Amino acid sequence: MRKPLLLAFLAGLAASTAFAQGRTPPPETMDIGDEPGRVSTPETVIEDGPFARQMVFFRSSEPPNTVVIHTSERFLYVVMGGNRALRYGIGVGREGFQWAGLQKVTRKAEWPDWTPPPEMIQRQPYLPRFMAGGPGNPMGARALYLGSTVYRIHGTNQPETIGQAISSGCFRLANGDVIDLFERVPVGAKVIIRHGPQV
Amino acid sequence: MKAGFAVLGLSLALAVAGCATVGEPEQEGPAAASTSNLTERPTELTREMLIGRWGIASFREEKDRARVTAQARSFCARQPYVITAGPRNGVMMHAADDAKLYELRLKGGSDGKTYLGFEAPPGDWQDRVILSASNDQWVMRFVDPEIHNRYGTFIYVRCK
Repeated sequence: MRKPLLLAFLAGLAASTAFAQGRTPPPETMDIGDEPGRVSTPETVIEDGPFARQMVFFRSSEPPNTVVIHTSERFLYVVMGGNRALRYGIGVGREGFQWAGLQKVTRKAEWPDWTPPPEMIQRQPYLPRFMAGGPGNPMGARALYLGSTVYRIHGTNQPETIGQAISSGCFRLANGDVIDLFERVPVGAKVIIRHGPQV
Repeated sequence: MKAGFAVLGLSLALAVAGCATVGEPEQEGPAAASTSNLTERPTELTREMLIGRWGIASFREEKDRARVTAQARSFCARQPYVITAGPRNGVMMHAADDAKLYELRLKGGSDGKTYLGFEAPPGDWQDRVILSASNDQWVMRFVDPEIHNRYGTFIYVRCK
């Protein structure tokens, strides 16, 4: 593959651009939406900085394997017991799409399928209306479905968006991290979503 | 990076702002030199086989083909993809990653395959190669391996 990450990044940006006919490379920007088709390898993990997966002190009375999401912190915690938790950096819903609640993991899926929302099809009419799961799928490598809601904890083909608030209410992890989470958290696990400033 | 990989600043700004609209049909093909050394031959496929309303979906693994076909069909009622006749005996469709409509045409290649794309030798990197086609369904993938890797193989199911 030729310069896959850069190519994929630019391709995803070019939602309505003259990819086929123009000649000037677009500037890079973080102001991006979903990028169907962009490939992020399953091995991608956040390795540096605060959003890297790490064991942290975490005082909680919840049983091990409980998932606690702090939307404002951009962190997801898996309670490990002994006042410890494994912390992952996440991307969260943009303003107006953040929420709080108590859910359970009702289903898990590897390489989930993806259906672009209608408004995305309007903007990017060249997209398939349904994309079977795979490396170019914005849902990423794994998904954990939350109760009967439309929200999920899932992977992403845009790992650079971890720590940002750009989704429609789902919680995204780098593919390598969501694979790790997928293995740790069973169906039926409690998921607590907290929204708001921390004390 | 490929010479044809490109964006106009205004178009990008509109895209990022979510203001993208389908532009006027493009009348000219790409200016970049083709990467194909195939010569063109007649093809048995006709543009009439492509014109119409289609449900489209994509897959990467053969095991997904049947259910993806069913998914493509299900989108006929919701968000069909419409292919119309172009002014120069081609069809109006989108190129990869581009919300503008262009006139594309069918091209038989000296390798025995049929391609769909701009005015360039068959097998050009921007072409689609048609893997199978009938009046009710056609299957294609992009020639460019990078684009194909991102999107997979497309199934078009004619809407009844």
